[in-house]
Amino acid sequence: MQEFLEFTLGGISFGMIYAAIGLSLVLIWRGTRILNYAQGAMAMFTTYIALIIINHTGNYWAGFVVALAAGLVLGAVCERVVRPAEGKPPLNAVIVTIGLLILLEGLAGMIYGGQFRSFPTAFSITGLHIGGTALGIAWNDVFVAGAVLAAALALAALFRYTRVGLRMRATAFSSGVASLLGVRVGRMLTLGWALAGLIGALAGVLVTPSTFLYPNSMDSIFVLGFTAAVIGGLDSPVGAVVGGLILGILLNYVSGYLGSDLVPIFGLAALVVVLMLRPSGLFGAAATRQV
Amino acid sequence: MAELPERAGDPMPVDPPTLAVEDLTAGYGGVIALRGVSLSVGQGAITAVLGANGAGKTTLLRAISGLIRARRGAVRLDGADVTRRRPDDLARAGIAHVPEGQGVITELTVEENLRLGALCPSGRTSRADRTAALAQAYEQFPALGARRRKPAATLSGGERQMLVITRALLARPRLLLLDEPSLGLAPKIIDQVMTMIAGLRQSSGLTILLVEQNARSALTIADQGIVLGQGKVVATADAATLASDTGLLRHYLGL
Repeated sequence: MQEFLEFTLGGISFGMIYAAIGLSLVLIWRGTRILNYAQGAMAMFTTYIALIIINHTGNYWAGFVVALAAGLVLGAVCERVVRPAEGKPPLNAVIVTIGLLILLEGLAGMIYGGQFRSFPTAFSITGLHIGGTALGIAWNDVFVAGAVLAAALALAALFRYTRVGLRMRATAFSSGVASLLGVRVGRMLTLGWALAGLIGALAGVLVTPSTFLYPNSMDSIFVLGFTAAVIGGLDSPVGAVVGGLILGILLNYVSGYLGSDLVPIFGLAALVVVLMLRPSGLFGAAATRQV
Repeated sequence: MAELPERAGDPMPVDPPTLAVEDLTAGYGGVIALRGVSLSVGQGAITAVLGANGAGKTTLLRAISGLIRARRGAVRLDGADVTRRRPDDLARAGIAHVPEGQGVITELTVEENLRLGALCPSGRTSRADRTAALAQAYEQFPALGARRRKPAATLSGGERQMLVITRALLARPRLLLLDEPSLGLAPKIIDQVMTMIAGLRQSSGLTILLVEQNARSALTIADQGIVLGQGKVVATADAATLASDTGLLRHYLGL
């Protein structure tokens, strides 16, 4: 019982990171119908930027903020790179985003070298206790979950309550109609990628203390974030968060009860099972099929 | 090259027409759907654009609103050349295009659809203006008001048509392009929609280009009519004259 509680709570914090990556993929998918294979590499790159700032200033939060801002800019730049592939056969975008992935990982290797670097946490990683019971999580895990939750809620509020959010949704659902209503569709797509870059950068900074930082460090996180998005239906921001949580908790049980070596294989298995049993995801069917 | 006989030799009018299309050629890929079309619509008029399937009616609207690029020729709005501008740019400049069929964004609520229209003339409306315009729209169409928080997917065909036309009007256009507003509607609803369109001109002085398969009902509310055949203008006349020209209608529209 004690173990079960620890594994569950620990899984939430991992799950929120997968949720963040999933959310960033959903943001791009909804607007452009492109699966951004470079999302993990973008997050890796902005995390290097954060590390440089942190080493230079000695201030974690300076690095944190700069990483998010860099994610915003990098997302917008990548959209402009990918733009010629928008609205073309899907393979074009696959090739361009995989090209971006290779480019960013290559650049990171050239600039920063291939060695593993440790990345600091925002808060303590000493395990928390209630009474005599260990919870299996630390304040930093609470921060990780809280930061992603706050970002997800801020995004939801942006989409729901602001003019630009309404225009972004209109573009995602029906870009032709949106343009006839005066919406600058290209600008909305750039903004969608920028926000995705920001959420991805957040995930990078949050997860890297537990993985080390190197040019491929986000690859496996990307696969799990993609799985989270697929569980949720790729079209649903809420679905991505729920998918991330489900995946995070399940994989933490696997890691805890069966051994951490099995996590990657179970992550892939989860992806295959979802694609076989319910390819439109838990939240996808209702909202996506009508035009 | 089709020409409008009425205009040949006319002196340049003092006020430019709301919409002037000059020698417009446009198409899709290798297909030319519109060949050298010229027409002129004065302010506050309803012009019915008639023709058989494939005559180029929808292409004409799409070329005017910027959804496809003109290959040759010009489109002028109040005398200003707007050819080859982007559709969103033209929407903000005052051209509202209600496309055939799928104009409703079904995933958004009724109110969100309408707000998109009200937000279109960005920078030119205040929040209070927009709220008032929405309230007025709900007063005019209580069916929309009653479902304002529901997804637009829940509306019936007739309600959807009212939604897209109302949404277009909230953008405060100078020129309204309506593509087959009667498509798929029951005859009783068609009458309602046509009455609504006729009412627009009277209340707002809006200039309307109305593409219709349903020539008879379009001509009852239009001031003038233009008949397209195979991408060219084959006849231009006032609506009453066209409606009585049974030979022409039979030949080009199969009526």
